[in-house]
Amino acid sequence: MSTGEASGTAMSTVFSERRGDLVVVAREVRADGVVSLTLADPTGAPLPAWTPGAHIDLLLDDDLVRQYSLCGSPDDPHRWRIGVLLNAGGRGGSQRVHETLEVGDEVAVRGPRNHFPLHAAPSYVFIAGGIGITPILPMITAATAAGADWRLYYGGRSKPTMAFLDELAQHSDHVVVWPDDERGMLPLEEILGTPVDGTLVYCCGPEGLLSATEGWCAAWPSGTLHLERFAAKQQAAPAAGEGAFDVVCQRSGVTVSVPPGTSIIDVLEANGVSALSSCMEGVCGTCETRVLDGRPDHRDSLLTEDERESNEYMMICVSRSRSERLVLDL
Amino acid sequence: MTGSSLPAADAANYPLNCWYVVATSDEVGSDLLARQILGERLVLFRRRDGGIGVLADRCAHRAAPLSMGSLIDDQVVCRYHGFTYTSSGACVRVPSQVHVPYGARVVSYPVREKGSFVWVWLGNPARSATTEPADPPELRDDGWATLGGSVRVAANYMLLHDNALDRTHFPYVHPHRIHRGYVEGPPPLTIEVSETTVSYRRTFAPAPLVDWQHEATGLPLDATYVQREVGTFVSPALHVDEMDIIGPEPDGQVFRGVFVRAFTPIDPANTLVIWRAARNYAQADESVTERLREVYEGTMAEDQPLLEAIQARGGGVGHDVSAVADAATIRAYQIVDALLTEERGRAGRGGPGDRRH
Repeated sequence: MSTGEASGTAMSTVFSERRGDLVVVAREVRADGVVSLTLADPTGAPLPAWTPGAHIDLLLDDDLVRQYSLCGSPDDPHRWRIGVLLNAGGRGGSQRVHETLEVGDEVAVRGPRNHFPLHAAPSYVFIAGGIGITPILPMITAATAAGADWRLYYGGRSKPTMAFLDELAQHSDHVVVWPDDERGMLPLEEILGTPVDGTLVYCCGPEGLLSATEGWCAAWPSGTLHLERFAAKQQAAPAAGEGAFDVVCQRSGVTVSVPPGTSIIDVLEANGVSALSSCMEGVCGTCETRVLDGRPDHRDSLLTEDERESNEYMMICVSRSRSERLVLDL
Repeated sequence: MTGSSLPAADAANYPLNCWYVVATSDEVGSDLLARQILGERLVLFRRRDGGIGVLADRCAHRAAPLSMGSLIDDQVVCRYHGFTYTSSGACVRVPSQVHVPYGARVVSYPVREKGSFVWVWLGNPARSATTEPADPPELRDDGWATLGGSVRVAANYMLLHDNALDRTHFPYVHPHRIHRGYVEGPPPLTIEVSETTVSYRRTFAPAPLVDWQHEATGLPLDATYVQREVGTFVSPALHVDEMDIIGPEPDGQVFRGVFVRAFTPIDPANTLVIWRAARNYAQADESVTERLREVYEGTMAEDQPLLEAIQARGGGVGHDVSAVADAATIRAYQIVDALLTEERGRAGRGGPGDRRH
């Protein structure tokens, strides 16, 4: 058999995240406006392993994909649990979950993926606001199992709106519950005012809490703060315009042109280049791609200022280019 | 995340918090077995109750290898001064005195025996309690015949994972083992990822079998058959392939071969490959077993000189260019990198999985 006939051996590669239909095996109201859903494989097969901080996509409709943190136990290979806050002013994703998903219903699920992993450390400060408690729950279990020192500061509008207080009761000496109506806003100055070397800070919650936490952590050693956003950040005016630019896909050797008004990822898809994506808003990190050449115009909500300046990575679902050409590791 | 700047394959790039295959069941008996994996020297033995003990192979007294000693009544007796240890690592006797010196003990590692694999956990023991090693049912169940062996390869274990997840080297390295579907317009390669695993899959249009497939299955050479292959990075310790030949109608019997390879790092430049191959057809036919042994061992022997040559020249440091089909291998490196970063805390290794922390 002869080898090396390029046309005979060339093949296409389709790259995607794991996806399947799961069944809702439990649905519980956990607080005002918050339900938890427990999902399992309808055949009883084990689900992919995950670590604290991971999230999944619920594919509610062709154009309705929502990310939810896994808040159950990574040690249970057969069940995944998510907590969903009803966002009445949103675009309908959480309403769809609250109003239509019952026990016995199937839902298409993609992932898991993890852009908020828990790193080994001797001590942690966990800060959760509202539904931001969901990725933190498996983190505190892991921290306890590892013998690490930790404190959780859990803020919310009022106790009736704060989910999982029952589960947190077993950790009462490590958990500070801080409802806004009883105690005001979380006292971040007290919590983060004094940097402690070796302590990692994990934060998830609404934008105001995240920005304030970022501010207080500026004085801490670099790499201390890890945070996860559930919604896109307000962007400053873009650095570049909406003009067209070229994208060179390094691996396939293909060059595509990105016209105004179309995202890099949409152009890639139209040209048969596989790339992962999920939120299409620059929040979830799924589409994060390494930049080999060129200067991106960052419009995402994930990268820090340093990361933006280094131009090593970009979110191709929302970001554009300041140079005529970008070379991407695709 | 995608990244072509892959971690150096010449450093200790293996996570400790993971079950690794250290031996096969038949290797562990009443003789002390010395084995080095993940840079640690271990001694293994089997107790009279059938359970296995794994200790650090170094006496707490004057560092003599315990593997040079003896196993007497389920206890390891050091050859040098007779210090005696149980399988929990506790020192229970020092012949020269009445009491055991305070603190005399050696590390004892969590161990699991699943089918014919002996797994050991060299990381944080508390974390071993919440996860079990993979246990492919085909290696245990009735209805499957198994053969296997082991080979030491002078290459970093990630070079082996990279090779196992890759299909594009087959026409070049294994041209005589593959059916024509590999070289006449192969089907799309579907790669699926999750946080901790990556797998590839493809289904070929009907094609004739190659010789060894015909000899193993008994299916004729002059007919065409659909074939499917799936390969999965199960953990840093394990790669599993499934290859199906779909027999003719009306039953469409699936002739399945499951090839399980444990890639156990000995050190950054050497890997112990412990492999098992199971089949659900011709189970009792020894000639099929021997033919398949030649195929599996021969195929691995074709890869080995390439991997060893790459390792000898610095082992994969500085991959500059990747091809589209490398998506699976790149993902495997990212998964391992994330595990290393998570395990080592802030002093991470540097690499695509570590970039933000």
